[in-house]
Amino acid sequence: MWMLSVVARALEPGERAVVLGDIAESGEGFVAAACDLLGLIVRRQAAIWADWRPWLALLGVAGLAGVPLSRIVFGLNAGIGLQLRTYSKYGVWYDTGVTTQQEIVCVLCTAIALMAWSWACGFVLGSLSGRAVWITWYLFYQVVLHATWARFVLSGDIFLKDPRPLRLLILLAVPLPLSPASIPLFLSSLLGALHGASRRALSVSGAYLTCVVVVSLTILTFWTGGWHETAREVWSGGLWHGSAWVTRLPPFLFISWPAAWLVATAQRETA
Amino acid sequence: MLGEFEYLLLGAAARLGDDAYGVAIRVEIEGATKRRCSIGALYTTLDRLEAKGLVVTWMGDPTPQRGGRPKRMVRVTGKGIREAKAFYNAVSRASRGVSWA
Repeated sequence: MWMLSVVARALEPGERAVVLGDIAESGEGFVAAACDLLGLIVRRQAAIWADWRPWLALLGVAGLAGVPLSRIVFGLNAGIGLQLRTYSKYGVWYDTGVTTQQEIVCVLCTAIALMAWSWACGFVLGSLSGRAVWITWYLFYQVVLHATWARFVLSGDIFLKDPRPLRLLILLAVPLPLSPASIPLFLSSLLGALHGASRRALSVSGAYLTCVVVVSLTILTFWTGGWHETAREVWSGGLWHGSAWVTRLPPFLFISWPAAWLVATAQRETA
Repeated sequence: MLGEFEYLLLGAAARLGDDAYGVAIRVEIEGATKRRCSIGALYTTLDRLEAKGLVVTWMGDPTPQRGGRPKRMVRVTGKGIREAKAFYNAVSRASRGVSWA
């Protein structure tokens, strides 16, 4: 029965109690009861997806914000990984052209901003998806973790040495935070999703505060990210030109839009 | 116009009267149709009927037999009775002069 109780958590509390009571009273076997319960859960989930909100969550957050966020996560993981590998192998830090202090500030800014973006994205996912939050959050997390490297693999820029399809598939499907950048992403987005699903909207002051934090961290990350561009230009003696700020800006706007949504919905709640 | 399963559910609830709730309605439907009635079909149909105003439901008292969990009690409304009657009459008219034997 405890296993059925765990599965039944996908239902609303009132309905959960009634259905578990029905199962206990009817004395059904485990398999029949599990089939009954799963059947109801599937029907309830299907009914949720008849609404436009979970789709907006999926396309707007997992798609629009998730894909550029994936680049940030990939870059952060690659940057930290490169430094750690170089230090453990050669005992020195990898020279990216910026000072150590700048490197630390850059990584910290990106990591903190990643937490803020993930929380805001998670909150919007939760508030829009309701009971479908686990599905939309899982898909968002998968998109953010895998979209960038999957694109590199598909375009032939990265080769997998020993793909072992089944092992790779299991590793990819299980939402475990196994890389440095995936830890803040996992925790913040999950926390935001749970808050969003339970509260649905922030207070006006809370929404404005979140928006200011997200925008400030976005500006800081955008600005500190430019240090590497400048360093590369200097290193190349002016032969290499980094991306103009106009082309670097749109992904940051897409990542930050959930913060604007929080403000918009908070205002609507009080109107 | 009601659906077939909606009619079966209304019929079972009307027959049970004050004792109409999830498990009892399932037993009635299974007895009438000689087919299994799933919890998913029962509760999603019940929600639909309630949204149409054909039944009202409320939480009953918890019982030890159910592990201290409540029942979802059901009562057919006047509108529900009229709709069920209309469905029955339509099926009766459609069956007139037809021999399925």
